[in-house]
Amino acid sequence: MFIGVTGYNHESSAALVDNNGVLVNFYIEESLSRIKGDKSFPWRSIKKLLESSNIEIKDIERVAFYERPLSAFLHIVKEASFHMPRSLGLLTHQFRNFNRSSVSCYLDFAKFFRGLETKLIYSDHHLSHTLTALAYSNSKKDICSVVVDGFGDRSTASISQIVDPTEINELWECPYPVSLGLFYSTITDYLGFAINEGEYKVMGLASFGDSKSKSAKLISGLMGWDSNSNKIISDMSYFDYHLSTSNSFNSKLEELLGPARNPFVPLIPGDSDFQRCADIARGAQDLTIYLLRKIFTHAYKITRSRRFLFSGGVSMNSASIDSLAQLPFIDEIIIPPSPGDPGCAIGAAFYSYIKSNSYSDLNISKPSLFPSLKEIRNDEFLAEEIISNEFTVLEKDKEDAFLKAAELISVGEVIGTVLSNNETGPRALGNRSLICDGKNKDAVKYLNTVIKNRSPFRPTAPAMRYEIAEKYYKLRPEIYECYKSMSATCKCLKDNVSLEFPTTHVDGTARIQIVENKSSLDKLLSILETMGIEIIANSSLNVSGDPTCFDLVDGLMVCSRTKLRYLLTDLGLLKRKT
Amino acid sequence: MKKIQSELPIFFETAHAELASALEMLAACKGTYSPKQAFGYFMHAKDEYNHARSFFKMLSKRGKKASIKKARDFRFTPPSLITKGYISNKGFLIDTMKFKDFIAFVYTNELLAKSSFENILILVGHGTEEGKTITKIMADELRHHGMAKKFFLNHYPALQPWQLMIYRLRETIHNKGRKLYDANIKILDRLLTPIYKSMAYLAGTMARKLNLNEFKRKGKNLMNISSNSIL
Repeated sequence: MFIGVTGYNHESSAALVDNNGVLVNFYIEESLSRIKGDKSFPWRSIKKLLESSNIEIKDIERVAFYERPLSAFLHIVKEASFHMPRSLGLLTHQFRNFNRSSVSCYLDFAKFFRGLETKLIYSDHHLSHTLTALAYSNSKKDICSVVVDGFGDRSTASISQIVDPTEINELWECPYPVSLGLFYSTITDYLGFAINEGEYKVMGLASFGDSKSKSAKLISGLMGWDSNSNKIISDMSYFDYHLSTSNSFNSKLEELLGPARNPFVPLIPGDSDFQRCADIARGAQDLTIYLLRKIFTHAYKITRSRRFLFSGGVSMNSASIDSLAQLPFIDEIIIPPSPGDPGCAIGAAFYSYIKSNSYSDLNISKPSLFPSLKEIRNDEFLAEEIISNEFTVLEKDKEDAFLKAAELISVGEVIGTVLSNNETGPRALGNRSLICDGKNKDAVKYLNTVIKNRSPFRPTAPAMRYEIAEKYYKLRPEIYECYKSMSATCKCLKDNVSLEFPTTHVDGTARIQIVENKSSLDKLLSILETMGIEIIANSSLNVSGDPTCFDLVDGLMVCSRTKLRYLLTDLGLLKRKT
Repeated sequence: MKKIQSELPIFFETAHAELASALEMLAACKGTYSPKQAFGYFMHAKDEYNHARSFFKMLSKRGKKASIKKARDFRFTPPSLITKGYISNKGFLIDTMKFKDFIAFVYTNELLAKSSFENILILVGHGTEEGKTITKIMADELRHHGMAKKFFLNHYPALQPWQLMIYRLRETIHNKGRKLYDANIKILDRLLTPIYKSMAYLAGTMARKLNLNEFKRKGKNLMNISSNSIL
């Protein structure tokens, strides 16, 4: 058995791969600690991996950490050292927190899981991303990997040629501090959203912006592509992320774009500052798409590959994928369901597997989108009293519960789901979701603004079967797999009725989900279609700011804390009493 | 503006504390072996979540009026629950404490929380909407305290009320100690900052001379690089 682990810089996680190259289990620490973005050493996840798979430390052959800790530390310190004394705050912070950085992962393993530290090995950060994406590809050889994130352990973007899983050659890199990911995070910060959490809000906001606006044009001057050297270039004089722990941008950026937004002031379409913020977001989105197209074009030039793996935090920018798919040389783009740093635990686990004697020719199984083991027994037992006091069981039988849930959806109700296994990535695909009729404007609005209390500029995703999606949206076969994990948006067909759907964004796009066969949503849709409902609006089951629900207790808590009334669970369909 | 700036940290820290309590109770709910206890912890967690939401609302109200620079400093990020010490990185209290101590901790801290809310109540005013919310939160805390006490005495009937007093005194001393330690750390930090910066400057000067080029990966098979190297 092999474990992969991430942590310290972004959400921490742990994954378990068996001796046959099968991903057995994967946990993100925030799911267990309930602290959104928890980046502490993932001891809960590792403990749960061992317990749920009924294995002990002696059964683990190797454990791989997802990056080379000293490299990450030194690259940041070295860059900051060129900017002293301005960067003294960052340097002091780095040195004082040396023992809390990823460099201490060996000690944390020794502290929490004695014996596991002797089995510890290290993978390159971008290699972990690549291997995560490779696992989700049907073909395991002759493919190009593009990784674009904030910062890895030495670079911020890279292109590699995968000959086979044992030969992955890096051909191009973008060295720190020039970083497309950190640029996008800086704009996120400037617009008043939290870094590593609010990037998707910027993406949603961008739809309201105008590419021809002054603000959007100003943004385009911050970064660019040098065609002679094939490098990303950046005017670092606007950014402070490489010099400071608290400021990602400086006064020069505020002089250029105007004052940063107060994070406590709500951003409502029509308000005085809304359009300026939307235009800035549009500019950032346009620049991201432009640079990604350049990176992919260069990747094609140097590898001649027409099939691509795309991972790293920037690959979560689903609004850019449709544009990439239109590049003439692209045959296929694979994005793993958890393309950010937490997903790297999967790649790290596969790294230790491939490096072991257990690995044989291309033997890596494509993981499910729902890998974590179901823990219904504990749920049932614990929730007994909570359910009997706070909920009414409307239907206990599973088939009847689905039927009743479909009936409720057809009359405009919103249903929460806590079914079977968790999703791998950050997007709820039906098992930990809030769902309603995707064409019912009132229901979608209620889900979005009353239950989830989200900003009005953020859309909800529509989920449907492929045949239905074809009727309404311009689908691209190159990114078919991406639609299954909501990794790409698509445009509504011209003059199509879908432009009026409440799940359609203001710019005529939607982040669709093509439901997997035999999944919970597939089962629900098979009933709903007989009632004339072919599209489900799907959002994650959580209260804004919390991680997505992990188990039944979390689902019951969301129901108790919000205006959600119905919960479809493995125990049946529940209705909140008050 | 000055009043707002002085109030921001109070609501910021209190919201942290209430959210941490909610998470502690949720962890207790999932960690117990008794469905009855799970229900009790569940309801307690729900209350604490609601308290946290109220304090975040109060924080937001003040944040809107604060300068942008100041407001940015009081943006909530969940991982700060750990970095600020509201939740231990070793685990939740239910994981790290003996059950008896855990109940005693809840019993005493609910009462201590209520008394600290009295100060916030004075700050916002009794008759205001916020004052009414805080009065309701205080009533909740008192109820939690009563429930914990009842639960404690049910489980440990041999315990005398004076023993509970000792628990309370111990926790009060702990809390005061924590505050004193925190204040001293801040003073010490200010005193030592010039030394830290000087050391960072020296280390930075050395780091500038580091040659990291030989660790570049371009043209290399990433799978062939030593898996034991942390660089």
